[in-house]
Amino acid sequence: MPKQKILIVDDDPDLKKGLNLRLRANHYDTVYASDGFSAVMMAQKERPNLIILDIGLPAGDGFVVLERLQKNAALATIPVIVLTARDPQTNKERTLKAGATAFLQKPADNAELLEAISAALDQPPGTMAQS
Amino acid sequence: MNSGRTSVLLIEDNAGDADLLRLRLLEGGSQVDVSCVDRLSSALAFVAQQPPAVVVLDLTLPDSHGPETFRRLHEQAPGVPVVILTAVDDEEIAVKAVQLGAQDYLLKSQVDGKQLARSIRYAVERQALLTSLETSRQQQLQFKNEFLSHVSHEMRTPLTSIYQFSSILWDGLAGAVSAEQRDHLGTILKSVGQLQAMIHDLLEATRTQSGKVRIEPHGMEVAEIMQQAITLLKNSAQQKQISLELEVEPSLPLAYADGDRVLQVLINLIGNAIKFTSEGGAIVARAGLVEIDPGFIYVSISDTGRGISPEAKPSIFERLYQAPEAQDNSRTGLGLGLYIAKELVELHGGRIWVNSQLGEGSTFTFTLPRFCLDKLLGPLITHQGLLRESLVLIRVEVSSALSTSTFRRKATSLRCREILQRCIYPDRDLVLPGLRNGEPDEIFFIVASTTLELAEIMITRIREQLVSSPELKTSGVFKVSASSLDLPAADGQVPLEKLVLQVAEHVSASVKLALRTPQNFNQISIPKPADGRAEKRRTHAKAKNSDRRR
Repeated sequence: MPKQKILIVDDDPDLKKGLNLRLRANHYDTVYASDGFSAVMMAQKERPNLIILDIGLPAGDGFVVLERLQKNAALATIPVIVLTARDPQTNKERTLKAGATAFLQKPADNAELLEAISAALDQPPGTMAQS
Repeated sequence: MNSGRTSVLLIEDNAGDADLLRLRLLEGGSQVDVSCVDRLSSALAFVAQQPPAVVVLDLTLPDSHGPETFRRLHEQAPGVPVVILTAVDDEEIAVKAVQLGAQDYLLKSQVDGKQLARSIRYAVERQALLTSLETSRQQQLQFKNEFLSHVSHEMRTPLTSIYQFSSILWDGLAGAVSAEQRDHLGTILKSVGQLQAMIHDLLEATRTQSGKVRIEPHGMEVAEIMQQAITLLKNSAQQKQISLELEVEPSLPLAYADGDRVLQVLINLIGNAIKFTSEGGAIVARAGLVEIDPGFIYVSISDTGRGISPEAKPSIFERLYQAPEAQDNSRTGLGLGLYIAKELVELHGGRIWVNSQLGEGSTFTFTLPRFCLDKLLGPLITHQGLLRESLVLIRVEVSSALSTSTFRRKATSLRCREILQRCIYPDRDLVLPGLRNGEPDEIFFIVASTTLELAEIMITRIREQLVSSPELKTSGVFKVSASSLDLPAADGQVPLEKLVLQVAEHVSASVKLALRTPQNFNQISIPKPADGRAEKRRTHAKAKNSDRRR
């Protein structure tokens, strides 16, 4: 089975590097984007199996990215895990409504993050493809 | 005071007194516009429409007497200063009104123009000062909250890096690690956890203080949450060879609480118990019905720790309280844990307290309300002191095959609930709270104060809304069905509360039945308008049968 590809969207280079190491160690392929604009471009180009998305981003924040992904039929089906330092109380529901699959607050426990990733990737085929 | 005219509302029912006062007000020299009303009811309407600069109030009016008159006016218009008018023999009552927040009082028989003008001017100025103090207090509070929220957000980013890279080293992802290095990394990771907990507490305490914490109560099994907390803390108890046991009264009824919040309180209390109990000690978590008030469930955490001194007891639930020294070398934290626990318990309508003897351990106990449908149903199934004529129970099932991911299921469940909320009349219908701890709901129940025939309109709307929702249309099958609920006869003998209780019990029983045997429920699903009547009779008969069995 080919490796699953994950697009990491975060403007913090340290976090990107750390997440990259962690995901590659767990046999995922990774690609990145550091701002909202290139996040959508990369999603178009790379067609990742999953996106890990920060909210506070230059050139279009996480909500803008979610909106653009939802509007594009080909990208709307990609599960998105929002990973942010922001307060879940005020942001979680909003991101889920905007189309995110899961919301995790930084620093997210490694096991929790990996579980969320495999859960999101485990969607039975077709359940989201039609939306 | 600003230049210009002062608007005065005179509330006085005696026409002679009113005329005299108006005269005194005008002769006082200041520029005033006087309006006069003779009832509290008209005064309340007046201040709601055009709040005056000041009110001159006679406490004894045809429709209200004594300090109560002031209280009601003040409640309606807290920002408007009030000067009380009183007779000599009523001075005490006037003093009471001043304690409640009136600015001044004057004896009617002794009022002269200058005195009245001065009293009014001071009242207006003092009120302006009070208002500006309150405004600046609010601003400061808001600034503090925004500041803390910003700081805790900013601290999370570097903390994430520390966590990520030390865990990468710990897991050997950057090469082999010696035992000693691993030990040091363990210390870093433990500290990261502590710092993270502190940041969390900081924000949480700010929120509770500014009333921003939301609780979403539902019917929940207390024992299940207690088990979760114990599972989470088992390791840290084992490290100190402390036993951790659970004792729950058999067949304990459901609590009406927010599972996540209760878990938070339990983690805090059990965490503290572990912290302050020496090696080889014992912790027992108990739960049962409160004997003297069966409307509540208690949860208690007892330890064999060092106990709390009588001097410390009154302050342990206060903000920033820190125990003099922890038993082990663990750090004390910010001193917000018990404060947050208390706030959370009180938000549920419960209480929290501690029993403790120095050297003989402590027992922390808190209470949670029982899950009683009557409290929720009461307002909508009664109308003008009577029970509504007919009730319908609607069952909405979202196909559970929709997703294997809990995250996705939770989101679907949340959206489904939102849609249902939009389809009902909030003052007549109720979407029952979920019945499982934090689990996504797949079956929803609505109690609607309507007839089976009319419920069909609602059901059609629900179907349409669910199917046309872009997020839900892929979730597959929705089953919506309804049955009418048998209502107890209102013969005027049985008090309304008792009737409500009966209905609530009946609803609970029907929900339990419909949860267990969905097929039965589907049989009595919405009838076609034509054979609606016959269908309804059958449903009634069924309900009656089950009543008799009981």
